[in-house]
Amino acid sequence: MTSKADIKVKVVKKNKDMNQLSAGANVVLNIIFILAVIIVVAPIWVIIMASITSESALLTYGYGFWPQEFSLRAYTFLFSKGSIIGTAYKNTIIATVAGTILCVCSVGLYAYPISRSDFRWRGLFTFISFFTMLFTAGTVPFFVTCRQILGIGNSIFALFLPLSFSAYWVIIMRTFYKSNVPDSIIESARIDGAGEWRTLLQIVLPLATPGLATVALFAAIGIWNNFFNCLLLVDEAKYYNLQFTIYQTLNSIRFLKEMASQVGSLAAQIADLPSETFRMAMAMVTMGPIILAYPFFQKYFVKGLTIGAVKG
Amino acid sequence: MAAKSALTPGTAKALKHRKWGSGEIKRHIAFLTMLLPGCIFLFCFSYLPMPAIILAFKRYQLAKPPKDFWIQNKFIYSLFIQNEWVGLSNFKFIFNTPDAWTVIRNTIGYNLVFMALGLVLSVGLAIAVNELRNRFLAKFYHTVLFMPYFISWIIVAYVVYAFVSAKGVFNQWITAMGGTAIQFYSEPKYWPFIFVFCNIWKYTGNNSIIYLATLTGFDQQLYEAAAIDGAGKWRQITNITLPLLLPTIVLLQILAVGRIFNGDFDMFYSVPNGSGPLKSVSTTLDVYVYNTMKTGAQLGLAAAAGFFQSVVGFTLVLTTNLIVRRVSPDMAMF
Repeated sequence: MTSKADIKVKVVKKNKDMNQLSAGANVVLNIIFILAVIIVVAPIWVIIMASITSESALLTYGYGFWPQEFSLRAYTFLFSKGSIIGTAYKNTIIATVAGTILCVCSVGLYAYPISRSDFRWRGLFTFISFFTMLFTAGTVPFFVTCRQILGIGNSIFALFLPLSFSAYWVIIMRTFYKSNVPDSIIESARIDGAGEWRTLLQIVLPLATPGLATVALFAAIGIWNNFFNCLLLVDEAKYYNLQFTIYQTLNSIRFLKEMASQVGSLAAQIADLPSETFRMAMAMVTMGPIILAYPFFQKYFVKGLTIGAVKG
Repeated sequence: MAAKSALTPGTAKALKHRKWGSGEIKRHIAFLTMLLPGCIFLFCFSYLPMPAIILAFKRYQLAKPPKDFWIQNKFIYSLFIQNEWVGLSNFKFIFNTPDAWTVIRNTIGYNLVFMALGLVLSVGLAIAVNELRNRFLAKFYHTVLFMPYFISWIIVAYVVYAFVSAKGVFNQWITAMGGTAIQFYSEPKYWPFIFVFCNIWKYTGNNSIIYLATLTGFDQQLYEAAAIDGAGKWRQITNITLPLLLPTIVLLQILAVGRIFNGDFDMFYSVPNGSGPLKSVSTTLDVYVYNTMKTGAQLGLAAAAGFFQSVVGFTLVLTTNLIVRRVSPDMAMF
């Protein structure tokens, strides 16, 4: 029995080898991929290099792929004068943690009943969620609802509550439950007398961890990177998040520089603004956590995504 | 992909409900409590804003309700009770401004280019990753190419600034080759290319995931049989992979058609850095709605512009889906 299976595996493997890409095409493909990797990485590289260049070198030689004069002043300045970015950092971390927890709980819980074939209204609840992917009310109704009815305008809640649920992830999680949690396990739990909540918490959730981890990662990154909600709903600087803060910095500097070429008296004001390297250091601090964490979490989400995304 | 599986006859057959009894009621109460948090979020942020769409047909003015009135919320009172209907005058006003057509051209034009290029590149990427001989390298490439998806548009705005500003990388190259530096931030003609590049840069890796997931699930015997019959790699791709991939492609394109009036707000708003001369190529419907709202103009005007995104977009999805269903029922979304 086992030897037969072994032979079969061998045959399949051999056929697969036979059907491999030709060596020439493989080389061409590799070259294309290497170019693509360079195109993806180079922009990030330029930012990193600019952030560790000395200000004077950056102003004289401009942006490049290698620092003309190495300096960590931008970072020491950034951390010594934490208040500019400190509040934004704090808000972003609070929003990300709270929003991620809410998102994992609400999506994980919502997707489970609609993955069960013995839940009577699963079609209805699937539709309620799926419909929001097809039809959204739009910016203006969203804005007035948050501000005038829900009252979460200009508060830290605006940074994460609207992002704490996602119909898209409900659909992915539903498929994930269906394909990873065999009905027989649920059935046997029921025969053993476990209630639905107990079945979910003790039996289903441990099996669905990769899917939930994927939801958590995407939710966290979505909230960390969110700019629009802050722009739309927040007025006061004490509630700004990171993305909005660094956007404002970039924008105000470009604007003032344009003005300064026409109005000389603005030159003094510009001297007070954060320097170019400082801004690049801010950009680095903003995307740093994501870039650093990326290699570690990517292996989880690829698994979660590929299982959840396949049509179930 | 969602609604469909709920409605296929196969699953309908599996639906064997037990009779309502105390156990069954208890189970369903448990199910409903699980659904509750999600329902609250859906209600607050998706369904509650929907009635406010009628703003597009109103002249909006915030008014205070009388003390004894049964609705005490200012907004609800103003919108549904106090404000007068103005018919299509908000729409007329928008379409009489010269900007309107530029905005619609930008929105639809960019989206069509993104859809077409994005489709070709992400399907190509998925197939190429799947075909590479070295699995380790394939994984490495895909990991790197996926990364930009996690980088916010604001950081991309910084990157673009580092490349196209006066001292940027591109101007270094241009001056090094003896040319004169280009003021990118006041030259609209370069920006369509920059936007398209940014979009491709950020999304191709992510879009290819779903295609990759689908095509790794294909039956390998098909390919082996084809190889034995003498079909080369190229013929296998065009005759097996692409036809099998078509339902997924169609599904994602239907969803993309529904978003044809939605632009990537963050990109079009932040990457040009608020530069005035670029408005003609960077204003899409989202940006227009936001700007109209922020200039303190009538909220009804912004809502009328937004109306397109939701209602016309939704109609487009339904129509596309209907056409697809006529042509090939299996590929329709619902």
